[in-house]
Amino acid sequence: MNIVGNLNTLGYGLSAIGPGIGVGIVFAAFINGVARQPEARGQLQGIAFIGFALSEALAILGLVLAFALSA
Amino acid sequence: MTTMATAPAPGFESPGVEDFQLPPIFGPVTKPVLELVLAAIIVVVLFRLAVRKPQLVPGKMQFMGESFHGIVRNSIAKDMIGKAFLGYVPFLTALFAFILVNNLFGIIPFIQFPTFAHPGVPYALALVVWVVYTWVGIRHHGLGGYIRISTWPPDVPWWVRIILTPIEFLSNIILRPVTLSLRLFGNMFAGHLLLLLFILGGEYMLFTADSILLKILSPFAFLMGIVFTFFEAFIQVVQAYIFVMLTASYIGTVLADDH
Amino acid sequence: MNTYLLAADEVNPLAPHPVEIIVGLIAFGLLLWVLAKTVFPQFEKIYAERTDKIEGGLKRAEEAQAEANRLKQEYQEQLDGLRAEAARIRDDARAEGQQIKAELRAEAESEAARIRARAEEQISAQRESAVRSLRGEIGGLSSQLAERIIGSELSDPARRAATVDSFLAELDGLGSRQVAPTAGAN
Repeated sequence: MNIVGNLNTLGYGLSAIGPGIGVGIVFAAFINGVARQPEARGQLQGIAFIGFALSEALAILGLVLAFALSA
Repeated sequence: MTTMATAPAPGFESPGVEDFQLPPIFGPVTKPVLELVLAAIIVVVLFRLAVRKPQLVPGKMQFMGESFHGIVRNSIAKDMIGKAFLGYVPFLTALFAFILVNNLFGIIPFIQFPTFAHPGVPYALALVVWVVYTWVGIRHHGLGGYIRISTWPPDVPWWVRIILTPIEFLSNIILRPVTLSLRLFGNMFAGHLLLLLFILGGEYMLFTADSILLKILSPFAFLMGIVFTFFEAFIQVVQAYIFVMLTASYIGTVLADDH
Repeated sequence: MNTYLLAADEVNPLAPHPVEIIVGLIAFGLLLWVLAKTVFPQFEKIYAERTDKIEGGLKRAEEAQAEANRLKQEYQEQLDGLRAEAARIRDDARAEGQQIKAELRAEAESEAARIRARAEEQISAQRESAVRSLRGEIGGLSSQLAERIIGSELSDPARRAATVDSFLAELDGLGSRQVAPTAGAN
């Protein structure tokens, strides 16, 4: 069997695992928080999105590195 | 991808980075350049319409403008920056509107290219944000104070500091603008690639491929394309929101006194 | 794989396009400038006006409430005052009535006393005049009696007694006609 492709893509796939879990944890905590204290939704939302963004940054870095290191 | 190339007809060329190299329309001006100008014009015109006849009881346009401004003002700037938030609201609102319109170009028919799938402007905007929050931090704490709050977390033993300070320096001063710009660019780039994949794939299945089965299945590819268009719309709004949110949060952290 | 690498060599998606950067910065700068100059101050002004209006309205409502409370208290006080006044007037009237009654009674008593005094005066005056007239008559009568006694036999006690009796009976008959009221009064 002949596999054609770029190994960097695989690297990106691996780098997306951690952030995927992380984003899941962030929003799980957000949902928990809102379920416990619905009135805190506004505050939690901002924090949740920051957490989401920080986790997601790693996946994006993986994507970017997949291109940057392919040269 | 390789499985699709079973048809004897020319194999499916999956969309790639080449598809993001758009031909110049005239001179050095390409589609994203026009989009940037168009976005600025749209934002300015909409906001001018919103305040054309300012009233205490707002009309439709004014209400929309006020809501947009109010979201940035009350739920982003006020929460993230604190009591001195008012001066940063214009910058944040303009940033949000500009990024949002440019992102939404990705799903607006006939434009259909998110400007920030090219990384230049995200780099530039992140640099502007970096300059803004660095300047604010230095003005508020002095140069030494700014570096101290950025790299010197309080109440940490010295042996942790050896590791922590370089990390803090890297993440707060260097990586912040990098991730800020790359996040925006990466999302737009990947999202556009995703839509290209479904639409071009569906097109290939419908028109180029020989197999009848693929022709029959092609509507599902288009359907997925439509579903992901809505998903992209969500992502585009969220990314514009996050960009502004993080900008406000960075300004907030350099303004905080107890950190 | 080779073609892909070649393509990646040609176009790295991470490479910025200088024209875009320049146009983007200029567009964003102009956008920010125009909005910050003309649009956002308007928004802030409207927010401030709205807040002011709402707070002003609340304040006015509060003032009206306070005014109403003040007026109510005032009326209450006035009402209480009037009530006290009415009670006072009633008490006064009652007291006055009592006083008038007492005065009338005193007056009536004094009048009665006066009338009684006058009656007594009259009575005594009449008695005096009766006594005076009796005194005058008694002289004559005594002398008459003495004449009679002297005129008849004084030695016979039975005759003498009969004489006195007849004289007295005469007097009685006279008295019943003239002196009887004075004698009756005594």
